[in-house]
Amino acid sequence: MKLRIYITALCIAFLIACSSDNATDVVDDSQIEVGDLKINFTNTVGDEPLNLNTQTYVKNGGETYKVNELKYIISNIVLTDTEGNQFVYPQADSYFLINEEVAQSKTITLDSIDANNYTSITFGFGVDQTNYPLNGVDNFVPEAEESEMLWSWSAGYKFLKFEGTYSTDEITDQPFLYHIGSHGQNLDNYREISLNFMQPLALSASNTPELNIGFDVQKIFNSDFQLLLSDKDDIQIDPVNAPKIVDNITNAFEIILN
Amino acid sequence: MKYSVFILLIIFLSACQNEGLDESYQNLNDENSDNENIFLDLELPSNFPEPTYEIENNRPTQAGFELGKKLFYDGKLSSTGVISCGFCHIQDFAFTHHTHVVSHGVNGALGTRNAPSLQNMIFMEDFNWDGSVSHLDAQPIVPITTEFEMNESITNVLTKLQNDEEYVQLFNAAFENDTIDTQNMLRAISQFVMMMVSADSKYDKVVRNEGSHFNEMEEAGKAVFDQKCAGCHSGSLFTDQSYRNNGLPIDPQYDDEGRMRVTGEEADKYKFKVPSLRNIAVTFPYMHDGRYQTLRDVLDHYDSGVVQTQNLDSVFIQENGQLGIPLTEIEKDEIIAYLNTLTDDNFLLDDRFSEF
Ligand code: HEC
Ligand code: HEC
Repeated sequence: MKLRIYITALCIAFLIACSSDNATDVVDDSQIEVGDLKINFTNTVGDEPLNLNTQTYVKNGGETYKVNELKYIISNIVLTDTEGNQFVYPQADSYFLINEEVAQSKTITLDSIDANNYTSITFGFGVDQTNYPLNGVDNFVPEAEESEMLWSWSAGYKFLKFEGTYSTDEITDQPFLYHIGSHGQNLDNYREISLNFMQPLALSASNTPELNIGFDVQKIFNSDFQLLLSDKDDIQIDPVNAPKIVDNITNAFEIILN
Repeated sequence: MKYSVFILLIIFLSACQNEGLDESYQNLNDENSDNENIFLDLELPSNFPEPTYEIENNRPTQAGFELGKKLFYDGKLSSTGVISCGFCHIQDFAFTHHTHVVSHGVNGALGTRNAPSLQNMIFMEDFNWDGSVSHLDAQPIVPITTEFEMNESITNVLTKLQNDEEYVQLFNAAFENDTIDTQNMLRAISQFVMMMVSADSKYDKVVRNEGSHFNEMEEAGKAVFDQKCAGCHSGSLFTDQSYRNNGLPIDPQYDDEGRMRVTGEEADKYKFKVPSLRNIAVTFPYMHDGRYQTLRDVLDHYDSGVVQTQNLDSVFIQENGQLGIPLTEIEKDEIIAYLNTLTDDNFLLDDRFSEF
């Protein structure tokens, strides 16, 4: 009888030892509170929302233009909290294609972010191909390919696909086209952009904050550098102009509301 | 009763241990031979430089290699279902498109370039004649999606593979996450291509002191080659991996601007990657557009065919103003004898890589 009790006790002891292992695992996971973040991208021309195809805009150099297509890739999202600690969103899930034509593409939802008060966001414009193969970057290929954001001859991503027509004093409705990506290992046109929030963003399991980021199209032409479409209206693998365009773009994003 | 408690105890004990065991069992298995996913022994030749490919990120396993091989020889990767990688890259000819000046793709569509040999890819910094692709994993995207090659989309290829029970099983065996996605597909192909190391030619056996010796002719060829060619075709890979213009007359049919396509730099116009010369005896036709049928033609070009085009390499401009690398007919014979020692039959006939 004593033995039986002893064995039962032992058995229970093992049971506890055994299950407590599992239990701590579960507790560990649920101890970190996580929440979601919604980011809305709004493409604008100055303060006005961008209208594709129909509206004519005035740009630097007395040129006017219409936009038929605007697509770009956002990647590698990192949030920084009030203490300066960084939350790095999993790289493999961090590639997004913003397409003006497709409303859903302009809102991205990030999940399982540590609950915290965040003060700034950093993200990549394009794909950081110098660090290839980044985990998961290849799984972005189908989406990029379907949206014609891949150069098939080089397997390289187009970071920006921006097309339309323009007019000057001399010409009317000439097509223009900017397709910008990195040039193999020769020239890296990937850029990182950091934006401070207007006020700290309180993210928790019960509170999904919304972040509104504006992208001002006219800055593509006119910011650190001024580009005239009449000088060059087809810019693709262009070691002089492509870096100017991505440098301009680093100034094109701003927090419009959070 | 006593008994049943005891049994219960054992059951609990083992249930408890199982979790821990499972893991170590799996780890053991990784190294064990009765698991499909054993790591393959990728022997790196002692006379080669360090690989550029991050092998640790994608270590070839038996299952991954077999999957990669099936993909490599499968026409499913093309829109017409018949053009596989192996169609243009034929093992017997060091994985070149033998006899085809420029490669043929779906429906006989003509490309603009000659398929290079596939060997020692893990030592290369970038790929293709102009270096347009910077990583081996990304390379298959080019032929799959190029109109005159396989003319397919990655999305379609993935769908075809996902609907194929055999592929589902092969991907499950090869990758822990059991998923048919772009990354796994590309990594599997790389696992196959990665194993294609050609380092067992007579040349290698001489260099590694494995009992072989050059004959007189080969020895003389080596001397000429080292003096006149090894500036570009250097080291044990027989390429310094730079981009150069070696003075080919421009073919107006293609007007291929070479490296400039990738960099947009005028200074790169008409420059092409210095190709490896391994297995060169079997990889004809030669040059980026396959314009020369024989090694003799190539040497005649260097000797007397070099023309002045934009960015011609300064090596080809002699002191007296003449162009090219002067070679006597005897020197040409000697160089060819030497280049023939780069043929690696063990590689060309290696069953691991053969389609059937
Ligand atoms: C239609 C013929 C064709 C098919 C099909 C084809 N290739 Fe190629 N391959 C070529 C040509 C031509 C090049 C050189 C292209 C260039 O320089 O622009 C090349 C280049 C390569 C290279 C780079 C070699 C080097 O030395 O830089 C690799 C690796 C390669 N192919 C692997 C593959 C794989 C894997 C597949 C199947 C997914 C494939 N190829 C399908 C014709 C083909
Ligand atoms: C200045 C650098 C340079 C020198 C020196 C040079 N080559 Fe080349 N070689 C190249 C380049 C670049 C190519 C590819 C050119 C192209 O296809 O446009 C090439 C191509 C070749 C090819 C064709 C390879 C293939 O796969 O199609 C052979 C063979 C060759 N060279 C042999 C030689 C020999 C032999 C010598 C010495 C007599 C020599 N080369 C000297 C740069 C050089």
